[in-house]
Amino acid sequence: MSIKEAQQQSRLLRGIHRTLTGLHPVLESLIAALVGLLVGAILMYTWGFDPWKAYFALIQGAYGGSYEWASSLSRATPLILTALTFSICLRAGMFNIGAEGQMYMGAIAAVCITYFTLPPGLHHIVGLIFAATVGAAWSLVPAALKLMRGVSEVISTIMFNWIARWMALYLAIYVLVDPMRAEKTLSIPLTARFPILVPRTDLSYGIFVSIAFALFIYFLLWHTTTGYELRAAGLNPSAARYGGIRTKRTMFLSFILGGIAAGLAGATIVMGLPPTYAIYGGGGLPQLLNMGFDGMAVAMVGRNHPIGIIVAAIFFGGLNAGGRVMQFYGSNPVPLEMVRVVMGAIVLAMSIPELIRLFPMAKKGGQNLIRSLRRTTRSAPEEESA
Amino acid sequence: MSEVKAPSENGFFLRAERITKVYSDGTVALKEASLEIHPHEIIGLLGENGAGKTTLTKILSGLLPPTRGRVISPKGAVRFSSPREAFDFGIGMVHQHFALVGMFTAAENVALSFERPFSRLQLTKTIEDLEALMEESGLQVPLDVPVEKLSVGEQQRVEVLKVLSRDVDLLILDEPTSVLTPLEVDELFSLLRRLRDAGKSIILITHKLKEVQDVTDRIVILRQGEIVGDVQTAEATTERLAQLMVGHAMKQEVDAVELSDHELPVRKTHKAVDRSGRSILHVENLTARGNTRDIAVDDVSFDVYAGEIFGIAGVEGNGQSELVESLTGLRVPTSGIATINGANILGVDPRQIYRLGVAHIPEDRLELGLVLPFTLAENAILGVHRWKEFRGAFSILKWRSINQHVRELMDRFEIRAAGPNAPAKSLSGGNQQKLIVGRELAKDPAVIVAAQPTRGLDIGSAYYIRQTLLDMRGKGRAILLVSADLDEVLAYADRVAIMYEGKFMEVCSPDELNRERVGMLMGGVTAAREIA
Ligand SMILES: Nc1ncnc2c1ncn2[C@@H]1O[C@H](COP(=O)(O)OP(=O)(O)OP(=O)(O)O)[C@@H](O)[C@H]1O
Ligand SMILES: [Mg+2]
Repeated sequence: MSIKEAQQQSRLLRGIHRTLTGLHPVLESLIAALVGLLVGAILMYTWGFDPWKAYFALIQGAYGGSYEWASSLSRATPLILTALTFSICLRAGMFNIGAEGQMYMGAIAAVCITYFTLPPGLHHIVGLIFAATVGAAWSLVPAALKLMRGVSEVISTIMFNWIARWMALYLAIYVLVDPMRAEKTLSIPLTARFPILVPRTDLSYGIFVSIAFALFIYFLLWHTTTGYELRAAGLNPSAARYGGIRTKRTMFLSFILGGIAAGLAGATIVMGLPPTYAIYGGGGLPQLLNMGFDGMAVAMVGRNHPIGIIVAAIFFGGLNAGGRVMQFYGSNPVPLEMVRVVMGAIVLAMSIPELIRLFPMAKKGGQNLIRSLRRTTRSAPEEESA
Repeated sequence: MSEVKAPSENGFFLRAERITKVYSDGTVALKEASLEIHPHEIIGLLGENGAGKTTLTKILSGLLPPTRGRVISPKGAVRFSSPREAFDFGIGMVHQHFALVGMFTAAENVALSFERPFSRLQLTKTIEDLEALMEESGLQVPLDVPVEKLSVGEQQRVEVLKVLSRDVDLLILDEPTSVLTPLEVDELFSLLRRLRDAGKSIILITHKLKEVQDVTDRIVILRQGEIVGDVQTAEATTERLAQLMVGHAMKQEVDAVELSDHELPVRKTHKAVDRSGRSILHVENLTARGNTRDIAVDDVSFDVYAGEIFGIAGVEGNGQSELVESLTGLRVPTSGIATINGANILGVDPRQIYRLGVAHIPEDRLELGLVLPFTLAENAILGVHRWKEFRGAFSILKWRSINQHVRELMDRFEIRAAGPNAPAKSLSGGNQQKLIVGRELAKDPAVIVAAQPTRGLDIGSAYYIRQTLLDMRGKGRAILLVSADLDEVLAYADRVAIMYEGKFMEVCSPDELNRERVGMLMGGVTAAREIA
């Protein structure tokens, strides 16, 4: 009967073990969040702010009522999509850092639909398709470079982010600019704006685009052969090849899907964000800035799982919305810098489990890099002799 | 029921006391297992696939914490966080699943296992030591090639050399012989005997009873996590061991190959193969380069006919892997022709080759055969995931029929696992192998390319797989059997080719061969050269 005892004993151990190894992701995330909050609280306490009041303000500001919920969700909308960009590619074994740039291009493409008129509904769809296509096209270049020339996608997507950023800025200031107000682009016509979901807030129907796309990706990854092939190629490329899977195709596909997601993110910002429904060029694209990079953090917190990403993005949106309230909360205002530090602590703590899980993969990536370096150093003398 | 050994007078090196191990998914891998290990002995650990052998040895070497019970040693606590710490304590283990750094060479991998950060100087010394060791142990490997480019058999040799190069008191070898040829095994065993005489303790896991009887002093038998026998080798009969392992007397015919002595195995099946018609698999002047860019397959030609098992024997690393990879779409050969029923298969995508009815059991089950983080179910459809049975409209996976398929496989091939959703990496080595073999044979293929199909399988499972191959032969399938297990090839193949340095030394019926001749051919000595 000691075996039964051992089994019982191990159930507790198993629980702990699972929490530590990611078998119970929800619990693990909760613990990580608590750790993050604790670190944030200690930091605030050290600098003489009241953590209780600050966190109360944060939660109030994030989820205290329908207005607060709406602003959290509205901030979550593009984050879900940019997080998906990163996650889809990661599932296929690629590090796509390019959501930021792909999103800029999507946003620019969405603004272009001001140039023609269409009935509502159709105009929305055309706008989304436009943005998705341009986002995908933008991500195809690094993918092609990787597949044909072996260029590391990490480096090329980062470079493409800069190209996209300056190009978007140029287009916003000089080409698509609103002749009346030089600081912004033309506004999206009424026929292509996403209607507001909760009156007097900035939450639009764009959130449904994000959630629908996340659910679509979930279904694709776990319930279709396409997703199966993509995941197999990401986890073990040689076994995938053995299994008749064309790994180049799955890589390409992951970049296309990622580009679509990022492009849609740009579209939801432009077509669904009141009051202006336009991109501000002045101040360097403030509405778009860092949405792609924040998406990577969301992906980590959401464990690169579409459903986890939805939850994580709402959490992130809540942090953003609540963070503003923290700054202005009556008796205990916390300065913006401090708010950022606290947010950083929380996000970092929540990303750690996934980062640890991904470590072997990152290690493999590093080894590949070293291998390619070795190859170049080794082939150099050969060339000399030839 | 267990036969307890009289306590040795010269004390023990390691003692496991009532070890119970429950894995995080609830699998009870060991139940109250106790074992004492003394200097000057070689212990054989026997048991069916999933009996808990690997688990027990991992716990003994201090790398896996037991759920209950403890491991003690007069030298101190046995609890380590890395193999290097275990090395320093005096315990070295050759893992069933290799723990090598793929991009490093064999020498670098060995140097890595030393405690000090290695410098160039130590690397040169390591190479010298390794060369001496290779001489002594009879295990030859290229030292300056990244190990990921080596075949599975060569990697296994590197693992063994890595542990041998350390001066350890307890040496644990988890299936070190599964892809070694009999000659290599003999040399390894004589080295083990010398180590034992020098006072070391050795634990050897293998599924080959004759190996256990050949080299061990004492045999410990595990069944479903329990130690059911602990007997002196001299007193153990094959029948008794087999009975202890499975819990009941084993069918007589099972023993024929596995239990045979040092003579050539008796061929159990004779079948006249009709070689007058067209062959199924036709290979002509095939030449392929290996991972190191050297010629690995050198102008090889052969045919495999319907209803024939064509065996390829040889020391691992003589081009067998490259030949198999060339025929299954995983390697683009430099020249030659290969066709299946007239259709070209060289440089063709694996998917198209599978469409011609090919099943491929790869030698490297972890790198090629499985996606380890995937579940059993997901692995069971790798390569057949596009079949109509598993894939509906809009390429939606039919999970229900997939799960049913997995259950059938688990039943038919006795794959022991927590369920269809258990990750493949939680299976024991033999069960992983059964999963791959089951998946491939369930395709009901026209051509089977099987590399080391029974590697790591227990006697019963190996017997079943071999019978299945014979059945398929009976149905007119063409089978290419590549194996380091000479006995297997000689007993089951209708024709045998001996491969040496990329060439076929000889293609003949197994009846025309004797052990000496095979040994010479595998070493590259032809009859002509022998006379000269
Ligand atoms: N990491 C793990 N998680 C869950 N279960 C595991 C894990 N590793 C092994 N097991 C289970 O523990 C049992 C014993 O496994 P073990 O690897 O010790 O078997 P083995 O005797 O070495 O078998 P083989 O001859 O196939 O190598 C098996 O049922 C296996 O499925
Ligand atoms: Mg094992």
